[in-house]
Amino acid sequence: MTLAGLEQLAVTGCGHVIGTDWDSTPVLKSRKMRKFMGRQDELAVIAAVRAVEAAALPKALGERCGLYLSVGFIPFEGADLAMLVEASSAEGRFSMERFSTTAFRALSPLLTFRCLPNMPAFHVSLNLDVQGPYSVGYPGIGQFYLALEEAASALEDGTIDVALVGGVADQDNVLVQHHFSRIDGPIPASTLSSAAGFLVLERQPDADRRGAAWRARPIACEIRYCPADPFEVCGRHEERTAIRGDSCDVAALGPAGLAVAISTASSGRLTHSVRSRDRFVASSEWEIA
Amino acid sequence: MRHLTKKHRVVVTGMGVVAPIGRSVGELVDSLLSGRTGAGPISTFDPAALPTRIAAEVKWTGDISRDRKMSFASEAARQAVEDAATCGSMPEPEGGLSLGIGLELFSMDDAIAKNAGAELPIERRERLTFLQTPSDLCVSVLAARFALTAPPATHVSACAAGTDAIGGAARMIARGRRRWMLAGGADSMINPLGVAGFCSIGAMSTSNDDPARASRPFDRRRNGFVLGEGAAMLVLERQSDAEARGARIYAEIAGYGTSFDAHGISEPHPDGRGAFQAMSRALADAGVEPSAIDCINAHGTSTPKNDIIETTAIKRLLGERAYRVPVSSTKSMIGHCISAAGAVEAVAAIGCMNAGWVHPTINLDEPDEGCDLDYVAHTARRHEQQYVLSNSFAFGGQNASLVIRRWPSTM
Repeated sequence: MTLAGLEQLAVTGCGHVIGTDWDSTPVLKSRKMRKFMGRQDELAVIAAVRAVEAAALPKALGERCGLYLSVGFIPFEGADLAMLVEASSAEGRFSMERFSTTAFRALSPLLTFRCLPNMPAFHVSLNLDVQGPYSVGYPGIGQFYLALEEAASALEDGTIDVALVGGVADQDNVLVQHHFSRIDGPIPASTLSSAAGFLVLERQPDADRRGAAWRARPIACEIRYCPADPFEVCGRHEERTAIRGDSCDVAALGPAGLAVAISTASSGRLTHSVRSRDRFVASSEWEIA
Repeated sequence: MRHLTKKHRVVVTGMGVVAPIGRSVGELVDSLLSGRTGAGPISTFDPAALPTRIAAEVKWTGDISRDRKMSFASEAARQAVEDAATCGSMPEPEGGLSLGIGLELFSMDDAIAKNAGAELPIERRERLTFLQTPSDLCVSVLAARFALTAPPATHVSACAAGTDAIGGAARMIARGRRRWMLAGGADSMINPLGVAGFCSIGAMSTSNDDPARASRPFDRRRNGFVLGEGAAMLVLERQSDAEARGARIYAEIAGYGTSFDAHGISEPHPDGRGAFQAMSRALADAGVEPSAIDCINAHGTSTPKNDIIETTAIKRLLGERAYRVPVSSTKSMIGHCISAAGAVEAVAAIGCMNAGWVHPTINLDEPDEGCDLDYVAHTARRHEQQYVLSNSFAFGGQNASLVIRRWPSTM
């Protein structure tokens, strides 16, 4: 598989955010919504707004903009988990009686919204008034490649004029860290980073017409898959990124890695290849302005 | 008029389902047409004092993995693939998977054990399911089991995921990007955290004393949805491939449309803008006018907000004709299967369409003000259909609609 109409595609804006030192408040349309947002949601909104600003597009993208997103493993905060455990335990075991009374009363309704995997897409759509089509995939860089594939196809067939393609993962929390500690070749929490990266994709002639400069252009892309039962076969993750032949490491950024690499690259040729634990084998090459 | 960018028509040649009122397509359709409910007291765990203590559970007697949705998905996929092969052949190699899948936050038993210092299990299967089973494992397991070598798509658009999985797969095949796909959805959130989470946002019915009548879409006394669970899978392939191998064709996935409300986290846009856009785009993708639609399988959750807004959007789409088009809610009988809902409802729509019937919306005793369409209350109705529209609208305003066309050989 490759990207439909690849030679016509232009990245006209990129945005990214890494780590935990950021504040989403300045980019939110309504600060009141922040209480509904988990970190993954905030990361996504910051990166998406930055990408749209870089592309010099209005922050009301409307019906002709689609959103194509890959989100990371479901996040859950340690403090929330600790509260649930404490309020649900009796004699060292789970007590449904306590869970349904003490823990339930302490459970914030907002918690439900903060960990739903489709919420980053909601918050991006709300803040940028995206009303077009979407796809929301999970949980890694393989699904980011599929997001690119979907976006390219929608641009080629004229369903949309602008595609927001993003990857986001909150990896600084107990549930994601648990996941990475149990897989074959466990990954220590200290090496994981939370991140979001977004690309604004357009057809080159459309970008030219509105006088938008391209930031990156895809030269080649290939997406393959090698199925194997994860209960039977070890999975390994190998990811390589290089700009002008010098390698840079974005593997710790989960589904955001490629978009962050493009967003941070200086001019030249960027190559990315991945053989992911969930059996995607993908590679792409980008010209960076 | 067909969409110019479509290279292929996409047909359904296999179906499988595991639902609260049926563990095969035939059983599900029979149950739907007789108006059976799957709702009852929760039996898979003790809900103790949770505000909601009812659900529409799958009556599962076979082996089950720790994660119910994986067992449901495997069984539905097995049925669909066997069904597609009844002609003696399977679709060409290079198949793909498109799965709408729900999340499992974590097992509270495991969370407490982990907090007490329990080590990770050594054996891989247990290790990968300890505390929480990552939802993408189901994708990997199915792809391996059925040797699906095209890159799989995992949809996590919550209540719209099952419809997105089918629509997304159909779009890939229609554009020539995949040859054939196993597409559908699987979910079970009937567990302590799942039920508590929905209770905490006030989304579920609390009619614990009368579970059979708790899911009552469009009714004045509706007070939330009943949580369901299950899975449904469809084999989708090019029409030309299906005909070449002599496969039985059930229906065509003729159109697919999606949209964002870009409005409220749990409140649909007050004008039904997003729902209207998704339905309109599905019709445009199918190349048909609203006047072609013979029946609507509604999202119809039985929540106060959804049912009125969906009705508003349908009226905007169909105009005066809206009052003459049957609109029914599968969720009145099977509850809300969340990420599986759209897939189970697509199977329900195809099964009923091919039988020449519309299934009822049960428990609709007194339509709410503003819910004034023909919801096929209580009893199934004989009704020939050429095109059915099937809706799924998610928390967070992600809306998805399918246009399903009856295949001539089924008439």
